[in-house]
Amino acid sequence: MSIPFRPRLSGALIATSALVAVAWPVAATEPLRVGATFITSGVDPAKGSNGWALTSHGVGENLFTVDRQGKLVPELAEKAERTGELTWTITLKAGRRFSDGSPVTAAALAAGFERTFANNKAALATGGKLSFAAADDLTLKVSTERPVPLIEALFAEWPLIAYKPSAEGGQAIFTGPYEIADFKADAALQLKPNTHFEGASKRASVTLKRFGDAQAMALAFQSGELDLAFGLPSEIATRLKGDPALTVKSFAVGYQYFAFLNTTRPVVQDKSVRQAIDLAVDRKELAAAINGGTPATGAYAPYFPFAGSQARPTDPAKAAAILDAAGWTKGADGIRAKDGKALKLLAITYPQRPDLVTMLPVVKAQLARIGIGLDTQIVDNISEAAASGNFDIALWAQHTAPSGDPAFFLNSMLRSGASLNYTKYASPDFDAIIDRFATTGDPAERIQIALDAQAKLFDDVPVSFLVSPVWYVGVSERLQGYEPWGSDYHVLRADIGESK
Amino acid sequence: MKRLASWGLQTALGLLVVSFAAFTIITLMPADPVEIAIRTWNLPATDETVAALRQDWGLDRPLISRYLRWGWDFLHGDWGRSFRTGEPVLTEFLHRLPLSLSIGIAGLCLALMLALPLGFAAAVKPGGLADRFSRLLSVFTQSTPVFATGLVLIWVFGVQLRWIRPFANDGASLVLAITLVALHSTAVLTRVYRQSLQEAATQPWFATARAKGLSETQALWRHAHPSAFYAVLAAVHSEAGWVIGSAAAMEILFGLPGISQFLVQSISMRDQMVLQSYVMVVAFWMVSVDLLARLIMLRLEPRLT
Repeated sequence: MSIPFRPRLSGALIATSALVAVAWPVAATEPLRVGATFITSGVDPAKGSNGWALTSHGVGENLFTVDRQGKLVPELAEKAERTGELTWTITLKAGRRFSDGSPVTAAALAAGFERTFANNKAALATGGKLSFAAADDLTLKVSTERPVPLIEALFAEWPLIAYKPSAEGGQAIFTGPYEIADFKADAALQLKPNTHFEGASKRASVTLKRFGDAQAMALAFQSGELDLAFGLPSEIATRLKGDPALTVKSFAVGYQYFAFLNTTRPVVQDKSVRQAIDLAVDRKELAAAINGGTPATGAYAPYFPFAGSQARPTDPAKAAAILDAAGWTKGADGIRAKDGKALKLLAITYPQRPDLVTMLPVVKAQLARIGIGLDTQIVDNISEAAASGNFDIALWAQHTAPSGDPAFFLNSMLRSGASLNYTKYASPDFDAIIDRFATTGDPAERIQIALDAQAKLFDDVPVSFLVSPVWYVGVSERLQGYEPWGSDYHVLRADIGESK
Repeated sequence: MKRLASWGLQTALGLLVVSFAAFTIITLMPADPVEIAIRTWNLPATDETVAALRQDWGLDRPLISRYLRWGWDFLHGDWGRSFRTGEPVLTEFLHRLPLSLSIGIAGLCLALMLALPLGFAAAVKPGGLADRFSRLLSVFTQSTPVFATGLVLIWVFGVQLRWIRPFANDGASLVLAITLVALHSTAVLTRVYRQSLQEAATQPWFATARAKGLSETQALWRHAHPSAFYAVLAAVHSEAGWVIGSAAAMEILFGLPGISQFLVQSISMRDQMVLQSYVMVVAFWMVSVDLLARLIMLRLEPRLT
């Protein structure tokens, strides 16, 4: 029996339409493909910098956070009230839930924070060890070890991600717009929308892939395999901007690129050497090398009110004079020496921040001009390398005001004995300056303290501030609405800007 | 049978020695994993924390006792827990190793498949197109890092031609990774095979074969090929080690979730259980390739083995 042509055609059209109808929602809910050169090292929020990474991945939230204007705003909390010199009461927002559906309560968060303070020294930087008590479901009583005039900023710091510890060693439970579906350490993270976070039905799941090489990530973006390539190397971003088929967006970040100078090393402990290094660096040349950014004015990105107003000076002649005066004389090979010891230093940096890798040989050339030789190394685990102290100069990228306040960076990375003080800088005078942060919550006074602290750092030079960078992201047509902000602290967000 | 038992015994003894040597070296490495963990995870460096970690990771026991315990557990399928991730090492390896091994084995097999016809064609006509190409390939793969070649091929096939999606972890991207792994081995095996065929062609028995009326090609295939193939199998053994390194580079380049990315991070953290297991897997891979090559050689020419 043969079927006439027209019914066959109609049948084929109906079948095709049905297939498209079935396949369309599948296509529409394809995961967003995100590439980055970093990924959380684990899912334990109390370990190392996982708290930062999990927030950046849209998995976790803080009690307070910084919005796209850099303003400190409530997130899981509604408000914080000071009830004594060392005590605060934090009221939580009603109706918020963890990704397992359970309500966000003061008791659950207290258990998470207690665990973080017991296991992560970085949490202690601003207020010392905090203790917590749940007065009721939505009221959290907090006691600090040191006076903290601005507790909102403390709870916006990256170690203090909010979570509910799981029973029996399982995974912690978070509150962010995404939930971890699968995690392959060092390779990929699969995220699904947290159904208990508003607007879950509008969010696609996400595949976050870590690229060990930034050039490979750029190629993945060019070949159409990524909807979002976060942190494109600047030299490639400039080239890609010329391609009309690709969208590359740039944005100013709160990060600063700087050089930690190890004050415990035999040569670098000499202040004159550190001052010479600081003066020898041509920051305009560095900014040009990475195709973006401006010479650093100090510890903070220029848009912060507590940033310095003048670019750090460059004066190779003065640098050379300082070294001459300190007895470092140039040899026939152009390298200075003193008492038979050559002025040769070890400089390290890390591939996860490709701009720093680009900057390293430029710094080497600049220091060579005043007779300082540099051996350079790229290390994969910079935290470990820096903590081991086996370096003279470490090129570093750091968001220096992630909570919108200047205190955390200075307390956690430059205070005497601080857990992340890789320079081993120990100055009672500097400590006394930043102790003043504990005495005032007045914004104007805190700005002045930050400026005083920076002036002291400019003088002692445990760190040489180099560039306030601009970063680049590549977005596909599907993510044209993505607006990068907040550096890499909020890469994946509820308002990710997916076009429908 | 007796020979097989002897090989088996040698292999087991070899693995035992490797395991003990690796365990000792990893244990005696100057950096202490507890100190590293404390620094990397910002743990409070109290005596209690240090003692708890040492006990938890079994670092408070003497080396021999730890080795015996590890060996027993390893043989019973318990490969310990990663210091870094806290996950069972065997689980991590079972998730990642199949991909790494697939790339390595496929790369080696592809190299063999390409090397034989190319090497044969090069031997049939020295100085011809195939010979010159194999020489060029050899110089190229010796002088250009596989990582750089990979970036160029990704740009050509993925970005310009759009024939493949290089980072999709699908069949096509794997083929590219495997081809890159195979390139170096193809060059080496081709030259070894060609050289052996050429040497055979200078032997008196080869002239006899030609005198019987066989063409050069026929004589090479029938009489020179078996011994030349024997030489190729011997070379495969040394290439097995190279393939591991190339596969690791490809995993990092293509972002493949194999064992290498995991290993790189584990090295920096002195993650002993992971490093020890990796050494054992590599040792097992090397002896397996060796054993397989020996068996094939035995089958080809019992008198020479």
